[in-house]
Amino acid sequence: MGNKQTIFTDEQLDAYQDCTFFTRKEILRLHGRYHELAPHIVPMDYTNEPDCKVPLALIVNMPELKENPFRNRIVESFSEDGLGNLSFNEFVDMFSVLSEMAPRELKAIYAFKIYDFNVDNYLCKEDLEKTLNRLTKEDLTPEEVDLVCDKAIEEADLDGDNKLSFADFENMISRAPDFLR
Amino acid sequence: MAGEIQSQGSYEGNDDSNDQQSLRLRRVSSRATNQNYPQFNWSSPHADEDKDEEDNSGPRRELRTVPLPMALKRAVRQVQQMQIPVVSGMGSWKWKRRRFMHKLKDDGREILSFFTLWSRPLQMIGGNFGGGVQSYFLFLRFLVVLNFVSFLLIAGFVLIPSIIFRSVGTSLVNSTGPEKCTNYDPNPQGLVVFYTYFLDILSGMGFMEYSYLFYGYYNNTMVENSNFSYSIPLAYLFTTVFYFLFCLICIIARMGTAARVAVATGGNAVGNYSMIVFNSWDYGCQGDRATKLKQKNIHYRLQVDLEEQRIKKQAAALTPNQRIVLLCLRVFMCFVASGLIITAFYCIFLATNFSQQRSGEGGILGLVFEYLPSIVITTGNFVVPLLCDQIALIERYAPSTTIIVALLRAVFLRLVSLGVLLFTLWRQITCEGDTKSGDCELCQYNYKVYPCWETRVGQEMYKLTLFDLLINIAVLVLVEFPRRIVVDNWSNKLAQLVGRQEFGVPPNVLGLVYGQTVVWTGALFCPLLPLMNAIKFVILFYCKKITLFYNCRPALKTFRSTTSAFFFLVVLLFGWGLASVVMIYSLAVIRPSMACGPFRFFPNMWSVVPASFYSLSKLSQEFLFFIGSQAFSIPLFVLSCVVMCYFIALASVYGKNVALLRAQLKLEGRDKQFLVKQIAELGRQLQMTKHNTDVQD
Repeated sequence: MGNKQTIFTDEQLDAYQDCTFFTRKEILRLHGRYHELAPHIVPMDYTNEPDCKVPLALIVNMPELKENPFRNRIVESFSEDGLGNLSFNEFVDMFSVLSEMAPRELKAIYAFKIYDFNVDNYLCKEDLEKTLNRLTKEDLTPEEVDLVCDKAIEEADLDGDNKLSFADFENMISRAPDFLR
Repeated sequence: MAGEIQSQGSYEGNDDSNDQQSLRLRRVSSRATNQNYPQFNWSSPHADEDKDEEDNSGPRRELRTVPLPMALKRAVRQVQQMQIPVVSGMGSWKWKRRRFMHKLKDDGREILSFFTLWSRPLQMIGGNFGGGVQSYFLFLRFLVVLNFVSFLLIAGFVLIPSIIFRSVGTSLVNSTGPEKCTNYDPNPQGLVVFYTYFLDILSGMGFMEYSYLFYGYYNNTMVENSNFSYSIPLAYLFTTVFYFLFCLICIIARMGTAARVAVATGGNAVGNYSMIVFNSWDYGCQGDRATKLKQKNIHYRLQVDLEEQRIKKQAAALTPNQRIVLLCLRVFMCFVASGLIITAFYCIFLATNFSQQRSGEGGILGLVFEYLPSIVITTGNFVVPLLCDQIALIERYAPSTTIIVALLRAVFLRLVSLGVLLFTLWRQITCEGDTKSGDCELCQYNYKVYPCWETRVGQEMYKLTLFDLLINIAVLVLVEFPRRIVVDNWSNKLAQLVGRQEFGVPPNVLGLVYGQTVVWTGALFCPLLPLMNAIKFVILFYCKKITLFYNCRPALKTFRSTTSAFFFLVVLLFGWGLASVVMIYSLAVIRPSMACGPFRFFPNMWSVVPASFYSLSKLSQEFLFFIGSQAFSIPLFVLSCVVMCYFIALASVYGKNVALLRAQLKLEGRDKQFLVKQIAELGRQLQMTKHNTDVQD
């Protein structure tokens, strides 16, 4: 273990430990992965908080994200500029929320943001249609997509406004124990 | 509302807004749309000393779970850190202690994860194949740990004292009994050919019969010194009973966590489509081929649900005539399936009888005869479910009902076939239940064929366990690997149609439950069986992992992982029930062998307890009498009923609460819409009156 690493100062590591669900070793390992993505952009020495961002195209090629149909939305939800370019802070934040130690409520908040394609704080029918098409790679006919979206909204919508607010989404997710996986 | 949405939308397109501005904008939007996102309380948690206990439970706990961007969280943390010296001496000591405890807990968790068995392979399996397959391996790990701990229990109380007493050479308690009944000599006579050692290991006879493995080797030593007394029969009995209770408690405890999840999620029929849309992707990491399969899987599930809807509509539209025909068909098919199962049972009965008659033959043929019951059981468990699947196609139930019916049939077949084997053995041992007739008259069991019947039953269980392991390895080597090689290298249409092996979770889990039931049944007669089973399951884990990664493709039909954990434990409980019936019967009814074992001179195994009872001190005797008397048990029973009623009432109240709150949510949404309409209406009226007054002026 030791204090031999020179990538972060001790206060930085403590701050990261407090703000995420990772241990020191895991944070250092994450930095290694971040550096691998773009060695020419990302410096090895983070003690003076350099301001560098790895572009979206490099991040979605990570093996953990490559097969995920929502990879673009995930990275965009965690980026500040909304375009998917992540600084190391946002990178660590993303993996902290996606890790298995994050509580269900936190994951639900970010899941809602990810599924909300048009960023209007509601999951309307178009959002669901886009979700479904990405999940099944457009194998369903348009009528089937329509039917499934209607039924999904009908099941989860509690206040009757034909779209899912965060409260509806969270209520539905709380009945799904598989969500955490 | 619209303004905030616009400002949120605008910052996305604004490239040259610097970090601070975009951070601020994000904070503003999250504060404004407060029905959607939680708030962060900027007031210092340390200022209020009354709420010391709650809020001081780690500011780090709060920070991690807050959905703010990372830079903001670090800023908040800095602010919180700077506020610390303001707190008074007592508060800061409490805070420091709490922080220390949290750090200790985190470090402890890290160390514990180092000791958890197989955590890394399980993670890989879950990531690559999904939660359903992972639940099988989690179940397997639970059984390994259970068996190993049981073995430690048995070793500590029965095995090690036996070894010590035997090596010290304590004398046996002797008693008189009919001469013929105490005749038992399992050691092989004369010169033994070398390969018989190998056969003996496989069949549990020969040199293995008279060893610590089986019941017959243990003596009924009862040591009673002035300061130390130990009775092997009593220890044997109590260890077995406690082993059963311990397994029951472990299973129920594990079921408790799974059941809590199942109850909290309420009815499973509601929310099917939304579940599939939001929850079905399992975010694994396997390559392109697996992704296409996942997509096909989700497609398949949606189609299945749409199909179920169509079938329900069709079923509702059937004429009464067609309904009667369908009902008759289903009843008939049910009879056919039951007929198949009963045929399998009869084959097992015949095979066991034949095997017991021809036991003692040497050579490979003798080995085959020994293993005949195991072979017939395994074949039956393989063939009958296949046929039942074909029958299910004719029955035309809805897909979910078909799965449940198939599983129930398979469970019934597995457990009752073991029951049939045991029943057949019992018939032979007790001369078909009539202990006064024929061969059983002298010793109340068939002493000619079974001089030591417990060892024989233990041997049967030993053979079942061993055969199960050998069959698994044989299937792995002879079927699954060649199948993969053929499918991968031979691009024939037939090969592509058959495809790679699919890892079916239910059949594998039933195999585990069957193996564990055999071990429970045999634990009384073969004390080292839990250890053997633990080793067998460890080998099985690695074999299944290898076959999973090399030979299998992800399944087309997935298995819900959380409700299935509960289901596995329920089936395991059935197996436990069967084994405990056998144990209770052996303890209480059948006469133990007079030629071997620790209970040789008791009329039944349980009677050692009353016999030793009177050697306890007077006080303990009175205490135990009191516990058994009515003055204690009736109030205890009444109290348990009261507690149970209380919990049932509590559960129903919570359920009603949830329903009420849900209805209230709906009403509030409608209220909101109504008020919005009112506001719009009033605004319009105001506009109109203003326009009218303008026009008038």
